Amino acid sequence: MEAKPLDSPTSFVNQLVVPGDVVLDLSTMANQTIKLGGGLRQDCDSITVLKAGKLRFAKPNKYWVESSQKRYVPCVGDTVLGIVVDTRADNFLVDIKGPALAFLPVLSFEGGTRRNIPKFEVGTLLYVRLVKANTAINPELSCTDASGKAAEFGLLKDGYMFESSTGLSRMLLSSPACPVLEALGKKLSFETAVGLNGRVWVNAASPSTIVLVSNAIMNSESLSAVQQKIMVDRLLQRVQ
Amino acid sequence: MEYVNPEGIREDGRRPLEMRHLHAEIGTVARADGSAVFEMGNTKVIAAVYGPREVQNRSQQLNDQALVRCEYSMPNFSTGDRMRKPKGDRRSTEISLVIRQTMEACILTHLMPRSQIDIFVQVLSADGGTRSACINAATLALADAGIPMRDLVTSCSAGYLNSTPLLDLSYFEDSAGGPDVTVGILPKLDKVTLLQMDARLPIDIFENVVQLATEGCKAVANYIHEVLLENTKQLEYRRGL
Repeated sequence: MEAKPLDSPTSFVNQLVVPGDVVLDLSTMANQTIKLGGGLRQDCDSITVLKAGKLRFAKPNKYWVESSQKRYVPCVGDTVLGIVVDTRADNFLVDIKGPALAFLPVLSFEGGTRRNIPKFEVGTLLYVRLVKANTAINPELSCTDASGKAAEFGLLKDGYMFESSTGLSRMLLSSPACPVLEALGKKLSFETAVGLNGRVWVNAASPSTIVLVSNAIMNSESLSAVQQKIMVDRLLQRVQ
Repeated sequence: MEYVNPEGIREDGRRPLEMRHLHAEIGTVARADGSAVFEMGNTKVIAAVYGPREVQNRSQQLNDQALVRCEYSMPNFSTGDRMRKPKGDRRSTEISLVIRQTMEACILTHLMPRSQIDIFVQVLSADGGTRSACINAATLALADAGIPMRDLVTSCSAGYLNSTPLLDLSYFEDSAGGPDVTVGILPKLDKVTLLQMDARLPIDIFENVVQLATEGCKAVANYIHEVLLENTKQLEYRRGL
């Protein structure tokens, strides 16, 4: 396989890349600091790709590979939906679709003390924030925001949760608001929580709305913005 | 027995240096984190990848790298003779090991310590070269699962019959008892990760045959590259970017 010419460092930006591609040659970029994000690796003087996706570049010097996958790679500051798997004396064990189970300390709730430890059964769905993510230890979660307030974190009661890809989650969370949620929100009232780990929770007053919204979201993964709007309109017509 | 006729055509109509038709599909198993189907002529293999996930058996957990497991199976319906085979027979254990070692060479296991990656490969229809097809399918499935890899591993076999080096042996040629060389390479890094041979070959011919198999690997790599780009493009399109 012939190597593509590396005439300019930006020639790969916004291009699709696959594992093994050499996207940057450091020997030709003297006196420059670059920051590497997910999916890239430095191998001596060359930067190689680890995952299939689109190479992105943000000024001044950040590079990363954007991809969509079913598993989640924990990252500090992400908000995710976790499922309680086990309860220990000082931690809840939570599944966040990552390589390891995450710990949620029983005191990491707003005003959490030894006296008022919340009781979660196995299978409870939680909206949590990642505070520690390191390959050497299990990820650590928290149910408070950075200032110790509960914010919207915590238990998700009722509703319906489904799993999708990390790409869909990112699309739903992107700003300006993604077309599906915008179009649905104009006609229906519902609540939704999107975790960056590819889990989406939907709640509404009636089960039929929940079904409609979750189907619309699940279908939207394979559609473009215009198609999403058409699809939502068609679904809403059928209901009304 | 004549495997290459005087006109230089093989039993299935190919030239000695010709590969069988390749076909690949990504994302065929909805439940798995990554999956792919890979076809080389009549050989068809399906691979599913689960993980990285929590290690199931705590005693196998590795603290500095991920545990890679591989299971190869060949159902009765995949071959011509429908003999009932025991599940853990020697052949499938050996191929499981070969696939595991080849994939471990390209996965960056140290990035995911204390986790486990499971690769399941199943032969849906066998017509020679199942080993290579399994490795190619597993590569695609791993890439689909988004598991960090050094490079895409690709594999291809070559043989030597009727004093002619032959690329990509079919079952008929494979069962001739001649030498069968399976090569796996990292195409971008130009490194060999797998080299296996049944029977013997003189050293000068061996070099030729390995060279031929390597060329085959590169052709497979080109195809896999294309399929993966196409799949990624669709994912991008799906997100309306």
